[in-house]
Amino acid sequence: MKFYRIEALLLKYYYITINRIDRLFDIIYWPVIDLFIWGFAGFYIQALSDVNVLSMLLGGVILWIFVWRSSQDIAVFVLEDFWSRNLYHLFASPIKLSEHLISIIIVGLLRALTTFAILWPVGIMFYSFNILRISPLLIAVAVFLLTLFGWAVGLFIASFIFRFGQRIQVLAWSVTFLLTPFAAIFYPISALPQWAARIAVALPPAHIFEALRALINGNPVNYYGLAYAFTASFVFFIAMAFFLVVSFKKARKTGLLVKGD
Amino acid sequence: MNYIEINNLVKTFKEKGKTVTAVDDISFSVKKGEIFGLLGPNGAGKSTTINILTGLLEKDSGTVKILGREPEKSWEFVKNKTNVATAYSWMSDVLTIEQNLRVYAKIYGVKNYEKRINYLLDLFELKNIANRKIIRLSSGENTRAVLCKGLINSPKVLFLDECTVGLDPDIADKTRILIKNYQRDHDCSILFTSHYMYEVEQLCNRIAFMQHGKIVSIDTSKNLKKLIKKHTVEIAVKKDIKLLKDFLKTEGVDVIFAKNNTMIFEVSTENDKMYKVISKIFHRGFILSNLHIKGPTLDDIFIKISRQQKK
Repeated sequence: MKFYRIEALLLKYYYITINRIDRLFDIIYWPVIDLFIWGFAGFYIQALSDVNVLSMLLGGVILWIFVWRSSQDIAVFVLEDFWSRNLYHLFASPIKLSEHLISIIIVGLLRALTTFAILWPVGIMFYSFNILRISPLLIAVAVFLLTLFGWAVGLFIASFIFRFGQRIQVLAWSVTFLLTPFAAIFYPISALPQWAARIAVALPPAHIFEALRALINGNPVNYYGLAYAFTASFVFFIAMAFFLVVSFKKARKTGLLVKGD
Repeated sequence: MNYIEINNLVKTFKEKGKTVTAVDDISFSVKKGEIFGLLGPNGAGKSTTINILTGLLEKDSGTVKILGREPEKSWEFVKNKTNVATAYSWMSDVLTIEQNLRVYAKIYGVKNYEKRINYLLDLFELKNIANRKIIRLSSGENTRAVLCKGLINSPKVLFLDECTVGLDPDIADKTRILIKNYQRDHDCSILFTSHYMYEVEQLCNRIAFMQHGKIVSIDTSKNLKKLIKKHTVEIAVKKDIKLLKDFLKTEGVDVIFAKNNTMIFEVSTENDKMYKVISKIFHRGFILSNLHIKGPTLDDIFIKISRQQKK
């Protein structure tokens, strides 16, 4: 693995970000609009309840960004190379799959942190909500684990793209949304029906958001849940990275890298 | 020294449950400083061969050596010293030509890459559109941009897969000269595929004809042309065309076309027959207004070999 090649790909993603307005919208426009929608909804519900609903909703919106961006950026930047028929030249060059992935992971993290850096002051300005006041340590752990989980989801989608090509590109946008109801971002796991709660318990984000809500409401944090989230995120990430390597090998066998469709 | 060595290479694909053999047990080598042409109809296996050599496709069996090394064991070494250009794949289309070249220069670890990029943009007459996105380029401009990328790392082995498609005749001719000059100056080996026979004839030291995944013939263009031992003669006479036709019949010549005062016939080049026939035409007093003798072209060879294979 060579750093200069990762740097070259980071330069490419930088160019894509500044050349394509929709890639800029991903990190600024949609997250800010999301924050406003949930913020105003939170204001309204806050007036009807004793629970700190506003903080729970805004905390959920801001932290979910790390899953959303990390997963979608991996998938979308892999798709960018399919869309522009650039896979051929990219993989005929000395670029290795690991370098390709690391560069996408870095760019996803940078974009997520950029969004966080925008949403954090917006939360303070419009809703007097400072997410770092909750617990800087828990927020740091949450950011790390949610990002890791997001990468695992992104690798899962990328594996399918390398296996089946662009025809399943809808997964890039739909998989993260499919997970949203089970991630318990805005409500506790107990609010879910039994079948959905079973799925939620298996997913790391649900445990992280439970811990966030516990801290906001002054309740004890379930550290076993966090430990599970930590272990499961790593296991998912490693499993999906392995799945991607297998799919990439398959793409070299079937000729998908050449056809790029 | 051979820069490319391929032995018993096989590649199959599964298509709708059936196994299709795209490359069927081919072997050839390309010497240092040689331009080697792969010719063949669509689906002959030319691009599949190049895609295996560039690491984009995994072979089923056989051995490949590039610059003396097996690519699968030394991908980094091999890929840093090779490059590919094809008219059918683009660089990132949301980036400009210059941005793309900068990215690829960094990928290949090119030193003083801005200087190299400027040199290539000048060489391929792309300087004035260097800041244009790939998606906004014409196919000819895109082909030239891809060729710039192909030369960005001054490769020792260059794979050119139909890289002149879409170029206007002037630029195509300049491109062929650039390729030839680059090969001469860098002692580089080039594996070249094209549908344009004259281009292959002009550039390539040796040519391999491929059909149905197999190599059916490898030789120099000069030797390949010797496979057809006939010349085509077009002749126009001022009068007595019927007499000329009768005379040619007695000489055992195949008349292909005869109308008004013009006649086209094929005559064997063996035992100086062509020269003897033409000499007799003059001696018999036929007054010629036009005489054109055409030797076999690569197109003729290609058609002959293709038809032989079908039989």
